Amino acid sequence: MTTSILVVDRVTKRFSGHTAVDGLSLDIPPGVVYGLLGPNGAGKSTTIRMIMGIYEPDSGSVRLFGDSVGASGKDVSARVGYLPEERGLYPKMKVIDVILFLAEMRGLDRRQARTRALDWLERLGLKDWTLRKVNELSKGMQQKVQFISTIIHDPDLVVMDEPFSGLDPVNAQVLKDTLFDLRARGKTILLSTHIMEQAEKLCERVCIIAWGKKLVDGPLAEVKRTHGGQHVVVGFDGANGDAASIFADRRLVAKCDNSAQQAELELAANADPQDILKALVASGARLSRFELAEPSLNKIFIDLVGPEAATAAARPDVPRA
Amino acid sequence: MRKVLAVIRREFVERVRQRWFWVMALLGPVFFGAIFYLPTLLGRGGGVKHIVVIDGTTTDFGVQITARLNRPDPQGRTSFVAVRLPAAPPLEDSLTHEVEIKRLDGFLIISDATVDSGKAEYRADNVSSFATNGALDNALTELVNAARLERAGVDPEVVKRARVQISLATHKVGGAASGASAAQSFSLAYFMAFILYFAILVYGINVMSSVLEEKTSRVVEVLVSSLRPFQLMLGKVLGVGAVSIFQFLIWGLSGRLLFAQRQRLMGASPTAEDNGIFTVPHITAETALVFVAYFIGGFLLYSAMFAAVGAMSSNEQEARQTQQPVMYLLVASYLSMFAMINDPGSTLSVTLSLIPFSSPIAMPVRWAAGNLPMSEVALSLAILFVSIIGVTWIASRIYRVGILMTGKRPSIKELVRWVRTA
Repeated sequence: MTTSILVVDRVTKRFSGHTAVDGLSLDIPPGVVYGLLGPNGAGKSTTIRMIMGIYEPDSGSVRLFGDSVGASGKDVSARVGYLPEERGLYPKMKVIDVILFLAEMRGLDRRQARTRALDWLERLGLKDWTLRKVNELSKGMQQKVQFISTIIHDPDLVVMDEPFSGLDPVNAQVLKDTLFDLRARGKTILLSTHIMEQAEKLCERVCIIAWGKKLVDGPLAEVKRTHGGQHVVVGFDGANGDAASIFADRRLVAKCDNSAQQAELELAANADPQDILKALVASGARLSRFELAEPSLNKIFIDLVGPEAATAAARPDVPRA
Repeated sequence: MRKVLAVIRREFVERVRQRWFWVMALLGPVFFGAIFYLPTLLGRGGGVKHIVVIDGTTTDFGVQITARLNRPDPQGRTSFVAVRLPAAPPLEDSLTHEVEIKRLDGFLIISDATVDSGKAEYRADNVSSFATNGALDNALTELVNAARLERAGVDPEVVKRARVQISLATHKVGGAASGASAAQSFSLAYFMAFILYFAILVYGINVMSSVLEEKTSRVVEVLVSSLRPFQLMLGKVLGVGAVSIFQFLIWGLSGRLLFAQRQRLMGASPTAEDNGIFTVPHITAETALVFVAYFIGGFLLYSAMFAAVGAMSSNEQEARQTQQPVMYLLVASYLSMFAMINDPGSTLSVTLSLIPFSSPIAMPVRWAAGNLPMSEVALSLAILFVSIIGVTWIASRIYRVGILMTGKRPSIKELVRWVRTA
């Protein structure tokens, strides 16, 4: 296997009293879209800030491109793009100047930065706004400007904290297209989100964390296979036969979400869906649909994190000293 | 280093582009000029005063006084238009009314007792004008003295000849600005202290609001993932410092221009220089050097503290409270100038010129007063620059932790922890 772009090794971060991240390890290979998933307050942003060298972990280490991150580490900022959760641009500066300044911060020289910035502004439909001040732009436009400044130096790793929050569907699509474009060019993308539908569409690998700890990680398909089990969706066409007793058979069905004309079943371990189909037909049920389905990431997430994760939201995401 | 330069560049360009910079650049000399010339302009007493002399004397003293007040001074200025009226009981009431409706500036009450005991009374709507009071005082003293001497049998001609206006010329001995008069030293000291105080305050607060802007707009998170917090703070302080130097250059040039045109601007009437208080001093190269050295030192010291204040606060209101201790240090240093101008060699003055927080203002004041051994300046500068390193070290640690914090302001205990663990 190729060397990892990013290795997070058992990092822990505490903020006066509570542990935001607790012995978390991540391993991100090059060229993937990696999703860091978790409920609010799970420690996603803190993890990302440690990756970006903004926070020093209390214990454990972070290695980017094989070098350790932190005050003593090598400056890898030129190879990393960072879109923080709380977006920030200088409100009184001109759009082009902000992009140039942030590009310089990433080690790009001004001339090159200008060419690329004008390119990107044109591409994202902001050409007419180049010389306007940031605070004259709409929220969505500001997000685009921030996005341009995140990737203008063509980084090998793009780290985005909740990239879709606050974006309308059109702009979200623009962002997705650009991400896949980067991915196609061999870049690695790490994004955090608590919206599972999005992660499901975008990410090849995911890691679900809660309370600062890792619950599961790996390629999305594998996570789906190993967690949440096999699912079957059954649709009835008028006659249900003896469905109720078949669904109650714990040797076949582990969990059942039954409504009048449709049921979503989670199969018991080692159960064969064909047996259920045979039994249903034999009992006289008329079926409009019998479908082997993957569990949604959302279901896995809720199964893993549980409703009590909602309380985690009450914990302050931003640490207090 | 390239990133620090980029930060310096941004601070400089964004500030110089702002309208207020040019407003300050253009109005600065006018403002400073006003500070110097206004007191003397106002000191003239605001023109001619119309007064009545209520004469209760039995001699011609009242006539003399009235004539004396109506006489123009040696510069040809008329201070009073005085009318003599014999004393009568209802007169005071009606004149009081005249003063109230502003048809009269005031009235002077004299009697025989004035010559005997030196007592007189002046009633007016404004009795706090130094110029008016001084002129009345002078006129009365002169005539009362003459009347008394005359009464004692001295020939009025002898009295006249005995009165000589003393003109004490003061010259500073040795030091950098040798040959400068006391008045010039005073105004130089005053001028330097004020500009230093003003510039350190304005540009220190500029550093603070720049830190605060990045913090509240959350740009800082992207920045500290790109460069070290210390580099960011350094770039900021140097960038704002460069703006202030640029501002000084503009002020210097326009100030020269304005000064060259001062006669025309002030009109034909004699300027402040005649009073001998606010004269424009000759600024020697050494003086300029001392000024610049202490400005840079003071600015670095205070802006590091202001940067830490900005990092500690989450918004403008909070910053305004947090900056108080730093402001007090600066204001106290400025106010102590007035004590030092009177006695630049006192223990207090020497102490203040060595303490790093007050030396940027205190030392230039003492320098301007003159005759300062180079060794003392060197010692004071050495202490100042060592302190800058120490204060910057502490400030950068507070800055590093503070810029990423939101929520309540840290307590002193928490600050100490930031400094220790950062």
